Amino acid sequence: MRGSRVAIWLYAGMIGVPILLFVFLVLNFVSAPYSAIGMRASLALAAMGMIALGAVGMDEVFLHRREGAFGEVPKQLVLPAVMRENTKHIPGKGRIITVRIKRFNSTTKNFETETYRAKADELQTVLGALLDIKAYSDPTLSMRYSCRMGICGSCGMEVNGKPVLACETNLLSSLDTNGEIEVQPMHGHPLLKDLVTDFDSFFEKHKSVGANLYRKDEKEQYEAKRIYKQTSGQTEKFLPYSFCIMCGLCLDACPVVNSNPNFVGPQALSQVYRYNADSRDQGAANRLVGIDSIDGVWGCEFAGSCSKVCPKGVDPASAIQLLKGDAMKGFFEKGDVDEE
Amino acid sequence: MDILDYDMVVIGTGIAGMTAVLHANMAYPGKLSIAMISKTHAMRSHSVSAEGGISGVLYPEKKKDSFELHAYDTIKGSDYLADQDAVQVLVKGAPDAIKFLDHIGVPWSRDDRGDIVQRPFGGMSIPRTAFAADKTGFFMMRSLYDEILKYGNTEIFHEHFVVSLIQSKGRVVGVVAIDLATREAKVMTGKSVIIATGGASRIFRFSTNSYSNTGDGTALAYRSGFPLKDMEFVQFHPTALIPSGILITEASRGEGGYLINAKGERFMARYAKGKMELAPRDIISRSIITEIKSGRGIGKEKYGYEHVLLDLRHLDPEIIHRKLPMVREITTKMLNIDPSKEPIPVRPAAHFTMGGIDSDIDGHVVDSNGRAIAGLWAIGECASVSVHGANRLGSNSLSQCSVWGKIVGRESAKRAVDMKAEAPHREGVMEQSDISMKEIDRLLSAKNGDDPYAIRDELFDTMDSCFYVYRNMPGMRNGLKVLYRLRERYKKIALKDKGAVFNTNLRDALEIGNMLDIALVIGECAIRRKESRGAHVVEEHPKRDDRHWLKHTIAYRSGNGMDFSYKPVTITKWQPEERKY
Repeated sequence: MRGSRVAIWLYAGMIGVPILLFVFLVLNFVSAPYSAIGMRASLALAAMGMIALGAVGMDEVFLHRREGAFGEVPKQLVLPAVMRENTKHIPGKGRIITVRIKRFNSTTKNFETETYRAKADELQTVLGALLDIKAYSDPTLSMRYSCRMGICGSCGMEVNGKPVLACETNLLSSLDTNGEIEVQPMHGHPLLKDLVTDFDSFFEKHKSVGANLYRKDEKEQYEAKRIYKQTSGQTEKFLPYSFCIMCGLCLDACPVVNSNPNFVGPQALSQVYRYNADSRDQGAANRLVGIDSIDGVWGCEFAGSCSKVCPKGVDPASAIQLLKGDAMKGFFEKGDVDEE
Repeated sequence: MDILDYDMVVIGTGIAGMTAVLHANMAYPGKLSIAMISKTHAMRSHSVSAEGGISGVLYPEKKKDSFELHAYDTIKGSDYLADQDAVQVLVKGAPDAIKFLDHIGVPWSRDDRGDIVQRPFGGMSIPRTAFAADKTGFFMMRSLYDEILKYGNTEIFHEHFVVSLIQSKGRVVGVVAIDLATREAKVMTGKSVIIATGGASRIFRFSTNSYSNTGDGTALAYRSGFPLKDMEFVQFHPTALIPSGILITEASRGEGGYLINAKGERFMARYAKGKMELAPRDIISRSIITEIKSGRGIGKEKYGYEHVLLDLRHLDPEIIHRKLPMVREITTKMLNIDPSKEPIPVRPAAHFTMGGIDSDIDGHVVDSNGRAIAGLWAIGECASVSVHGANRLGSNSLSQCSVWGKIVGRESAKRAVDMKAEAPHREGVMEQSDISMKEIDRLLSAKNGDDPYAIRDELFDTMDSCFYVYRNMPGMRNGLKVLYRLRERYKKIALKDKGAVFNTNLRDALEIGNMLDIALVIGECAIRRKESRGAHVVEEHPKRDDRHWLKHTIAYRSGNGMDFSYKPVTITKWQPEERKY
């Protein structure tokens, strides 16, 4: 422990501070016509930060000498917030809100918290504010988004620590006690840049469980000469589980995925149940074999956080418990689609 | 730069693109290598936002429906600009598409007997729109995506942005794409190339479309010299939520919703007495704007836009719960309005591009002489076959994407399998990809220049004010002037983000370039059509003029300018008549 703290301070003092200084300088010269006062103030601030951090760092070095331990370099360390002001006119109406964004720097592999200002009326969403920041303050900010109506699943992120879709999260009703907003990328997924996470392994897990409607007679299935009979009651059985938009928020919330990356996770398992519960499907037994393991259904510790955060009301936790039951008692195939 | 060789390259992963990939795989299982490219994650394309349903004659006897009737409704809805032979292909293929989607898992809304329910839609003479609650497009997308995962020969390129088409000896042999995650360029060659990149309605600020609908594929085709057809026809959906433009499905009127003005009148009685709220979209959008212009709208004080109201208060809450859950979800989350208690503020928003890449009845892209281009197809909203003519009927778009997705998926696969392997000339390919990469480098290296987002803002304002529901000559002239000025400014933009990883600043700039190209084509086509037909209404020429204008506009790039020609409309059995509802 001691060793890793030493490393943190060393790195903060010796590498972080010059970077900080550099960032300030670049900001002042490139991003906008800053005033001379702002320039001097940020230089002074950077210098003070360097002295303070350097002092602490040296102290840690002495501690390290006394204790003789030098731990591993931590992968991600959080630098102090960089204050970045809007310099351009922000269109729209409403009050000015401070938005802190914990950005993942793809080069340094560190988080950098930056502070922006956005305008918000009572209808402003978190995504709306982020798009304004990108267009009017800082075009280097990256996040995923597309439909802005809660159906494409692009904009999962954490707003004041809560996993949400940014597009359907009202900004003013999400303020913290200081009247501010903090946005950060999801956990449970590798990071790419700023708020953007890597979905490759998430998609791979979804693919691995065979989440598609299986018919023994594929020729008949594809020829599709008639409509399968399925009553509205039978549809209701799987419909709630079919609303999954693959946003990845359940993985962000899942304590198991965050400690065992091999756990296939609530999204994929909920989709196993979605197809298993569909009266048209004939592939349930096979899918159950695939997930009857500690990285499958038995990895779930029923924390239930996946169901709490799902923005579409899918209940992966219940799906997983139902699958556990099916895995234990065996499963009778369905697939009768000719009942009148 | 990597060169990756495939049998087929499909650009765009909406319903059309994924249907094509799936049918190609089904026709030749294990025999084809396919690259499926999406600038978003593949399952997140704009098709997920399609809500109300898909049209098709499913139960002809029980419902007393027929192909003839579906075709007639579609042609009348198109204001007689649709090619009637293509419409017949559409209506015949639609029921098979719905059955196929049933077989791969779409949770169609059903009755207690197990049959698929169909609901009324605008301009359709009987209920023939199948639906899965009000998330039909989303469910179709998920089923298609899940089914495609079965096929190991299909490589999915998530978040790759195609910057150019590669041509060799008069055919299209591949694409250059940039991996957003790394900014790495990849050349993908294909014996068959399909463009399925969707519409361009995001060139308007007030739009129902996803942010991704910037007409990239249409602009690619245009820049490569292929003609675009009927681009002046942009559909404005009558009921978009303000101020965001989020779509409130036409199904809300199909299920019985009313449109009311500030006085509480069901004003559609003035404009379409027979069909009321279920008249086609062009007519309802005009009616709403006329009400607003006549002072019977609701002011912009609260939401920033003048608007009318969509009233669902009289509907059984159970209907809203079962058939329109997304309407309630959206209005609650966005405006804190419960549709059972309060009417919903709406206004027409840009929704659908009826025009697109000129393609024939088999989905082939054609050149300016009408000859099919070997190896290149266009399907879905980016293509203009044309089945929608001057105005699309609601729920016909999902059928169009499914029907031509299947036709072209199979045809292009057949071509790829039959074709003797003849890899395109490596040097020629590299030369062309180098040219497009130089353009990217130029964007990244410019130090000082115009702000692309400022240009986009001005583009939005221009389109919203000069090319909206009602157009007039001075407005369009001014609009075009601004658009040309913006295009000049665009040549001198500079980017702030020079990074390689997930550089959305670069992506946005590329999109804005595409948007400007498409906006100019729309503007130039619109100012030339001196009549009012379907979604294109010119105040100076308020009547449809079949004598001079019963023809398709064709626009194509010629040098640095634009050239135009016209093409006759195919009429098989339905002669143009006055359009009354």
